Amino acid sequence: MVAEAILAIETSCDETAAAVVAHGTEILSSVVSSQVDLHARFGGVVPEIASRAHVELIGPVIADALGDAGVELRDLTAIAATSGPGLAGALLVGVSAAKALALVADLPYVGVNHLEAHCYAAWLEQPNLEPPLAVLVASGGHTLVVIFEGHANMRVVGQTVDDAAGEAFDKVARHLGLGYPGGPLIDRLARDGDPAAIAFPRAMPGEPDFSFSGLKTAVVQHRRRDPDGAIADVAASFQEAVVDQLVDKLVRAADEAGASTLVLGGGVAANSRLRARVAEVAEATGRAAFLPPPDLCTDNAAMIAATAWWRLQSDGPTPLDAGVNPSLSIT
Amino acid sequence: MFILGMDTATSQVGVAIGDSADGGGVLAEVLIAGDRRHAEQLAPAIQHVCDESGVRLDQLGAIAVGIGPGLFTGLRVGVTTAKVMAQALGIPVVSASSLDLIAAPPALLEEGHAHALVVPVIDARRREVFSARYRVVPGGVQREGDYTVGSVEDLIADLQAGSEHVLLAGDGVTRYREQFAGLDRSEMAGPEFEYPSVAALVQLAAGRVEREEFVQPWDVHPMYLRESDAELHWETPR
Ligand SMILES: [Zn+2]
Repeated sequence: MVAEAILAIETSCDETAAAVVAHGTEILSSVVSSQVDLHARFGGVVPEIASRAHVELIGPVIADALGDAGVELRDLTAIAATSGPGLAGALLVGVSAAKALALVADLPYVGVNHLEAHCYAAWLEQPNLEPPLAVLVASGGHTLVVIFEGHANMRVVGQTVDDAAGEAFDKVARHLGLGYPGGPLIDRLARDGDPAAIAFPRAMPGEPDFSFSGLKTAVVQHRRRDPDGAIADVAASFQEAVVDQLVDKLVRAADEAGASTLVLGGGVAANSRLRARVAEVAEATGRAAFLPPPDLCTDNAAMIAATAWWRLQSDGPTPLDAGVNPSLSIT
Repeated sequence: MFILGMDTATSQVGVAIGDSADGGGVLAEVLIAGDRRHAEQLAPAIQHVCDESGVRLDQLGAIAVGIGPGLFTGLRVGVTTAKVMAQALGIPVVSASSLDLIAAPPALLEEGHAHALVVPVIDARRREVFSARYRVVPGGVQREGDYTVGSVEDLIADLQAGSEHVLLAGDGVTRYREQFAGLDRSEMAGPEFEYPSVAALVQLAAGRVEREEFVQPWDVHPMYLRESDAELHWETPR
C-alpha cells in the first residue's frame, strides 16, 4: 500500500503523459511520450494529429506509469487529468481516460488547470518554497506571470496579448530555416552569436503584459534588409529581446507582489539564456530563484498530480459530469 | 457474463449493459441525444446503467464499443473510455462500426417493406456523409462493400443508379432529408433509428464474446475514414 498517491494524466497538447505522485511531492513515476516527430514536418502542433496519437498512446503510458511506480489502481487516492487550457480534442482523451479509471477503481476524479500545474512543478522539487512566489510560465502555448500566494490561491498579473514566447521561437526558427521545435535550436545557435548585434524592439515597456508578434516581424524585416548577416547574431539578438521581456515582467510582478522567490515553468524555461538571466537578476535583487529541471518545466503529468493533491484538499473531487475547457484561465 | 456497451460516434451518447447468458438482453440503457457533450455525459451514463442493473464494473466480462465512423471528438471519448476501462479491468473489447449499429436492430426491418438494402448514413460535416450498404438476408442484414465517406450527392446518385429498394437510416438522412426524399425506391426509417443502437451493440457483442471474436484494449482503434491531413487546422495550442 502506497500512502496517498495520485495518478495523473496530461494530454493538453502534444505530449501524452502519466505520473504517480505521493503526497503532492514525491514522484513515484513520470512517463512522457512525446509526439514531436509527428508534428515536425508541419512546423507546429496539428490538433487532429495530436488527438489521434493520444488515443493510441494513452493506454501504454498509463500502464507504464503504474508499473514504474509499482502501484496498483486500488492503491491510489485519486485520478487526475488536465481539463484545460489546451487543445479541445486532445484534452478530451486524457479526461475520458481519467474518468474511466476513476469509475473502475471507484476513486475521486480531479480536473486540473494546466497553468496552475506549471506553477506547481516547483513544489515537486522544493516543497518548502515561501510564498508569495512570482512564477513565469512560458511555453509554445502560453506566456504569463502568476503570483502564487498559497495553495489554490494564484492570480495572473500579466500575459501575452498575441503570440506565446515559445511560438515566437518556433516562428523565427522556421523563418531562419532552422527546423522545429525552434526553442532548443535557437538556444544552441545563439551561443555563437552576439546578443547585442541587432537592436530588436522590447515590446510593451512598463506594462505587465507581453507581446511577441512585433518582434517576429522585426526579425523578418531585418533579414530582408540584411540577408547575408550572420544568422547566429540574429538568433542571439532575437533570443535576448525575448528574454529581456520575460525577465523584465517577472521582476516587475515580483516587486509589486513583494515576492522574494522567482520561479520558472513551461518549455521556454528550459532556455539556457533565460535560466542564466533569471539566476542573475535574483542574485542582484536579493531574491531566491527556483528553476525546476527542464523535464519538470516542459509538459508532464507529475505537475498535474501535484496540483491535484492540493486541489483535492481545498476543493474536493471534480464531478464526473465536468467537461474540458480549452480556454481555462487561472482565477 | 455481463457486457457494457457504449457508442459516442454521433451526437448521441448511448450506453447499455447486458447479459450474454441472456443472448445479450439489455438490463439497463441510457440514450442522450443531440447535446454533443460526450465527455460530460458518458461517465455519469455508465454509473447510471450500473446502478440501474445492479451490475458492478468489476463483474464485467467484456466491453463493447462503437468505433465510428462519426464525429472525431465524440468518437474518441467512447473509444478512450472503453479501452482504458478494459485495460484496467483486464477484460477484452468487442469493437463494432457505428454504421453496423444503425443497420443492426431487428426492429428496423420489421418496420420497412420489401427492402433489399439497408443504408445507414452518418453526418460527416462539410456536406459529406459516412455510409455502407447492407443486404437484407434471412435473420438480419449483411454488409456489402466497404465503409465509405463521400458527398451526399454522390451517395444518392449511386443508390439511384441501382434498381433495388433501399431503407435509409441515420442522422445523415435527417440532415439531408430533402435530398434523400428525391431518391426513387427508397424509404426513411423512423427517428428511433437515427443513432447507433447500443442495445444492438451489446447483443452483437454477446455473440462475438461467445465465439471469442474480441481484441485486447490496445488493439482498439477508431475508424476515422478520413486522413488527418485533410483535417489540418493551423490552430495555436493554448
Ligand atoms: Zn504547458
